[in-house]
Amino acid sequence: MGEKYAVRNLRLCTKDCLCLYVCPTGATDTENSVIDVEKCIGCGDCADACPSAAISMVPKVYPDQQVKDEAVIIALRKLVRSKGKQELIAKGLDGRLAKAFARSNSIMAEDLIREAGYMLPQSDNGLAFLKGLTQDSDLDESVKEMAQKLIEKLNPGGGKATKKYRCQMCGYLHEGELTEDFTCPNCFQPASVFV
Amino acid sequence: MRYICSVCGFVYDEAEGIPGEFEPGTKWEDIDENWVCPICGASKSEFYPEEEKAQEDKAEPKKSLVEDEDMKELSAVEVAALCENLARGCEKQYKAEEAELFAKMAKHFKDGLTAAKEDTSFAKLLELVDEDLNSGLVNAEEISKEKADRGALRALTWSGKVSRILKSLLSRYESVGDEMLKDTRVYVCTVCGFVYVGNDLPDLCPVCKVANWKFEEIRGDK
Repeated sequence: MGEKYAVRNLRLCTKDCLCLYVCPTGATDTENSVIDVEKCIGCGDCADACPSAAISMVPKVYPDQQVKDEAVIIALRKLVRSKGKQELIAKGLDGRLAKAFARSNSIMAEDLIREAGYMLPQSDNGLAFLKGLTQDSDLDESVKEMAQKLIEKLNPGGGKATKKYRCQMCGYLHEGELTEDFTCPNCFQPASVFV
Repeated sequence: MRYICSVCGFVYDEAEGIPGEFEPGTKWEDIDENWVCPICGASKSEFYPEEEKAQEDKAEPKKSLVEDEDMKELSAVEVAALCENLARGCEKQYKAEEAELFAKMAKHFKDGLTAAKEDTSFAKLLELVDEDLNSGLVNAEEISKEKADRGALRALTWSGKVSRILKSLLSRYESVGDEMLKDTRVYVCTVCGFVYVGNDLPDLCPVCKVANWKFEEIRGDK
């Protein structure tokens, strides 16, 4: 359970505030309505209690990109090129219809390229794409810097697995260093009960 | 006879007509060629008779592929689309800072691109969308079916339907011109790209079925 954390969608939240009552750590009770990631232990009680389904449990680690067939990828990419070209043409034309066409083609291109093996930004494909950008000598320094920053943010520690410890009392999963004075945020057991 | 809209699935039944518009018994042939689907706005030509399969299946697939030299690297257009897609991917994961970086990169790449001058016309748009419908989309659908890639098929179904709407709108715009937009609103579905020209936005997107608050109104004539 510790591998997920709760996120509140403010567009859906109807302020029934049941999450405040059920949260064991107070993570949902914040002045800015954003659930405190530091305090959230991923138990999911708030999501279960929410009457407007405004809270979702988001995984900390996403799965690998699903394998895509090369022929499918090429066929989709060809369409991306066509839709991208139409977006550019529409951008050069006047009027609301042209504007709508530019937006429409951009959305289609985006959706098609996602299905061509780029579902997740932090997948190997996504990271390889970013790495390619940092090594492209034709690109602006500013773009390379952004790509580098994204690699660091999306793949902290360069993909090295962080150590995980599980609380034997409640099952809470702690990631990272386990110091001696650590206590389980869920059931308040000492570090010694963690394995 | 019943005729079905290939974009949204609306059924025109000759026996029933449409209350307030066509008397029961109005034949399909007697309906004006400029009539459009009352739900999604697709042209009459985008409808197919019920017993026939959707018209997408009629086109000849031309499956030439894969070893295309110029497909080895992502083109600038693809890089731009990819950055935009990844920005959205980060947004969905509530990674605001990363989303912003990807969006900035997408903008950088898009700003560096322009269409060739001779291509900049509505006629060229119609030509390209027609080409997608007749070959690009058909090919991709064939291959995705063969490889049982449901995700790709989903995206292709949406893009196919949106392309048909764009074709309908372009054809109408070609014959009617700006009159088509007079006192009329224009919306784009931010999920699938469906374009709606009219004042009675459907509750759900006719293509991807998202609730209509996900639509964006396109304003201003410039």
